[in-house]
Order: sequence, then structure tokens, then C-alpha cells
Amino acid sequence: MRWYRHDEPHGRFIGSTGGMDIYAETYKESSRREIESTYTKTDQEFIFSYGPASGMLESSEIDLYTPGEIINHVDVGTDVRKRVIRIAQSDPLDALLKIERINGFHGASHAICFISAIEDAMDINPDGMMQYNRIVQLECERIRGNLLVIERMAQAAGFGVPVNQLAFLREKASRIIGRRGGHRYFFGVNSINSSCFNTDVIGKQMGAITEEFQDIFKGLLESKLFINRLQDNGVNNDKVSTGPAARASGLLHDARIDSRTLPYEDTEYSIVANTEKDAYGRFLVRAEEIQVSASIIKQLEKRCTNLRKSEYSLKDGEGMARVESPSGDLFYSVKILNGKIESLGYIPPSIRNIQSFRESMKGNIFTDFHFNWESYGIWTAEAGVVIQ
Amino acid sequence: MIKNLWFLRGLRKGIRTEKFPEENPVEIALWSTELIGEGNVECPVDAIVDGQWNFEKCIFCRKCTPSFAPKGNINIFRVRNNEPAFRKSFHLFPFDSGACGACNAELHNIASPQYDMTRFGIFFTNTPRHADAIVIMGVWTQGMKKALDLALDAMPGPKLVIALGSCASTGGIMGKGALENEKYDVIIGGCPPNPYTILSALEKARGD
Ligand code: SF4
Ligand code: SF4
Repeated sequence: MRWYRHDEPHGRFIGSTGGMDIYAETYKESSRREIESTYTKTDQEFIFSYGPASGMLESSEIDLYTPGEIINHVDVGTDVRKRVIRIAQSDPLDALLKIERINGFHGASHAICFISAIEDAMDINPDGMMQYNRIVQLECERIRGNLLVIERMAQAAGFGVPVNQLAFLREKASRIIGRRGGHRYFFGVNSINSSCFNTDVIGKQMGAITEEFQDIFKGLLESKLFINRLQDNGVNNDKVSTGPAARASGLLHDARIDSRTLPYEDTEYSIVANTEKDAYGRFLVRAEEIQVSASIIKQLEKRCTNLRKSEYSLKDGEGMARVESPSGDLFYSVKILNGKIESLGYIPPSIRNIQSFRESMKGNIFTDFHFNWESYGIWTAEAGVVIQ
Repeated sequence: MIKNLWFLRGLRKGIRTEKFPEENPVEIALWSTELIGEGNVECPVDAIVDGQWNFEKCIFCRKCTPSFAPKGNINIFRVRNNEPAFRKSFHLFPFDSGACGACNAELHNIASPQYDMTRFGIFFTNTPRHADAIVIMGVWTQGMKKALDLALDAMPGPKLVIALGSCASTGGIMGKGALENEKYDVIIGGCPPNPYTILSALEKARGD
């Protein structure tokens, strides 16, 4: 294992999986207990249930406990759409087909993280050009992911024009990705010690998207109606929160700076953060991160190879990897025995984001709900999955 | 001074909708189109049997290359029953039974300006009571079964049941189909289907 060591906690807490607590640099037998909420509905409250099939992008069951306007408690159920995925005893490449499809919208993040854990287990050292190619993919995915989140927030406000303009840019990003990897969600693009994504002039193309985005961003910032709906909405005080939600609460939590899975240190960029803590802060972080991602892509496009397939030999071992997906820390661990996956650990960012969202909804009013939910960029597909 | 008029900002961008279907698709990702080839290959979902490719099962994983390769034909859908009553307006109820998010995103994309589903009189509705068709995405899941049954019951007739993507129609690689395959009126291939394929299938679903 190259990047992680079995030791006392070192670095921030990432999450727990398979009886282990994972920190930024170490892992250790689990001792942390998430305090399960045991909220009991009061006589004054009723439960407003939202979902599971509700017109939201994905299915989820959301129960809002309210005496009329103020939300006192929120439950978010992802079990309702629970997918059970069998991975144990699979060949790693067969498993990859399922891993890519845990959260298809963040397919590159899941595939690259899982493959990196496999490579770690098999002592494979992918060369720098391949690693840069993977970073470019992740940053393209981040740009598209952030565009979607902002589009959904504008949709909650009923702003037709920016919604359409953002959807236009998002579709443009999907086409750029599809043209370069053959698939709009990166399925089949990455494999063990291999990546196949054409990065020629990608910096210019993604740069054009981010330039056009600036105009929309400016327009949204000028819209008092929109900004009012975000400010003080969903104040996030979760000290272990992840992704843009953490960075909008002043926490510099970002796998790009504290995970060694990918060589981000070879690029120049700064992590976007603010201390607003609310949906407005998350909106700002996401908008500014679009620029940062475009800059990373531009720096790396010429340092990548477009198609890299290197030989490797099967080897047993254990590996761990962590990447910054558009929603935050994504972690995989694998144990390979006789060429098959013996066990797999998995921490998706959406589980932590759901926790942060629930806490941040307390004291809000119902009409805040959509703005706040969308600002976290939660994917119930990755939270509601059981890997066996 | 008018500072923030979204209407004007929208006008400034002009018309950005493509001419599809009168003109060919502007851009498609190949691994969402028909595969052509020959020979028997190892396919993880048995989408190629006796050299025949089955779009309902294919997850576009590329394991059959170079024997099979995508050639750009977007018409990978089957319309068992169509409903001309929906020619003027066609309201779709998206239903995520257990999808990965990519089918959800591609369905959502047909509303983007490049495709603009509303020019075909296609709209989304968030209640099955107002729906002409239910568009089912993802694999069967225990928890969504009841919601799916209720949604199907709540829809007024005539109605169409549409499978979007290999998970919904056959289970793909992630499980089993959200409904028995024969219950679908329309099956749209892809993992996920591309937006051009979705629009073409929806047009044919109402007999156009
Ligand atoms: S692309 Fe994959 S799923 Fe489709 S036919 Fe080829 S091997 Fe089978
Ligand atoms: S068919 Fe493919 S893209 Fe659609 S939900 Fe299933 S795995 Fe995801």
C-alpha cells in the first residue's frame, strides 16, 4: 500500500467502511460511532413527505418534520432505491463495469478511484502522463457537475433563462467528453494501467464553456431574488463535511490537496473556499471552482497522452485510493486474492453530504428546501448502494 | 437602467436549437449507437448471441471490440405500441427505479436548448396523474416497487410505458429489469441512451 498506512489517526476523518475508520493518510479499526438520530415527532408537528418519485432528478424519500413552516427535523431515505451490487470474487475488470455505474454522473471519479486502489494493490505505477490524463477527466467532470448543481439551484428559483443557458453549457461539456472518450459519462474510458481520453485542445474548449458561464454567473449574482433565497439558507456547521459544502464553510477539505492518489501537486491552482456556510457560499464555491478546473485542464492538456495502455501483471495485495469527486471525498479500498476481489471498502461523498444537509435544514422553512438540497449536489445513487 | 433582464440575456444568445430530426445529429458519442460486427465474442451481459447484437441488453462496455464496433446509427429503440392521441402534447413522468444517474441526466438533457423537446410538444410532469407516458430508468429495486405500481395505476389511459436504458429493460449489468420486459410499450437502448435516440423514440411512440 503506497499511500495509506495502518496507524493512529493522521489528517482529517474521511469516513468509515468495512470496520475501518479512514483518515487523510491512515486507517485504523473503527472506533467512531455516528450518533443516529432518534427524533420523535411532537404533537404539534406533522410530517411532510417528499418522494420517492417526485420530479427530482433521482428517487429519494425525504420526510420534513414541521409544525407548519419551520423545519425541525429531516430524514433522508436512500434505502428506498437500494441497489445491491455483487463484487466479491469478481475479476477486477468485471467489477469495474459495475463501479462505473454506481454514480454514472460521476463515472470518471468512481472508475479512476477504484482503478487507483486496484493499481495500488497490484503495485502498478501508472506513468505521469496517464495520471495527468485522469486529472483532466476529473476536472471535466467537475465542471459539468458544478454546472448541473447551479442549474438545479436556478431551477428551484424558476429562472428559465439561466436554467436553459446552463443546460446548454452542460450539454456542450457532455459532447466534448463524449467526443474524446467515446462515451458522455466516461464508461469504458479507464482501465487498469490504461486510459483512453483525447485531450487535444481540450483546454480551449472547456475554457470557452467557462467563459460563457462567467456571464451567467454575473447575472445570477446581480439577481437579488436568487441570492436572497440562498443566503442564510442551510447553514452548514458540520466539521467533517466534504467537498464544496466543506469549502463553503471555511474547511479546506479537498482530496486534491491531501490525497496522494493523483499528482495534483504538479499543477498550480488554489482551493476555492469561503466562510458563508450557507447555500450561497456553496453556490460561490462551485462557480469559482469551474474556473479552477478549467485552469488545471489547460495546464495539463499538453502533458497528457491520449491513449495509454500499459501492460501489467496480476498480483495479490491490498490497496486504497481517494479522489475529489465533484461532491467531495470518494474513497475505495480493495483486497485482491488469487486475482479476484476478496473485499471492497467504499465511502461516497453523498452519505456525508446527506448528514450535513439534514443538520443544515433545521430551523429553515419549507420553501428553502429545494435550494438547499440542490446546493449539496447529493447523488442518492451512490449513497443508496450496497456492495457485496 | 435595466440591469438584470434575463429575457434580454436570453435573446442575445439567439436560437441555439438544432434542426434534428430534419437534419442529422450534430454530435453523438459513438458508444451509444448501434454496434455492427460479426463473430461470437465474450459479452458480460450476453448481448451478442450467435453473432446477433441485442441493443436491449448492451451496456456499451467495449469488450467486444474489434469484432463489433459502433457505427453511429442512433435508432436503437423498439416501439411495440404507439399512441397517436399524444401527437399534440406528450407528458412524461420520469421514474427512477434504481438508476445510476446517467439515464436521469440524459432524459433531463432533452429539455436543453440543443434538443428542446418542447418544440415537439413533449413535456415533463411530476405527477403520474397528468402523465401520458411513464419513463422508467434503472433496475428493479424492492423499495421502489410499490411506488412504481402506484404510479402505473394512477396514470389515466391511454398511456405508454417506456424503458429508458439497459437497466430498465433487461437489468443490464446492475440487476434485473424494473418491469417484466413484455410490459414495456417502448424500449430505448443505451447505457445511457443518447438524447437524440430518446427524442426519436418518443416521436415514434406517438406514431409520427
Ligand atoms: S459493448 Fe459490451 S455489452 Fe455491448 S455487446 Fe459488446 S461486449 Fe456486450
Ligand atoms: S442503463 Fe446504464 S446509464 Fe442507465 S441507469 Fe443503468 S447503468 Fe446507468
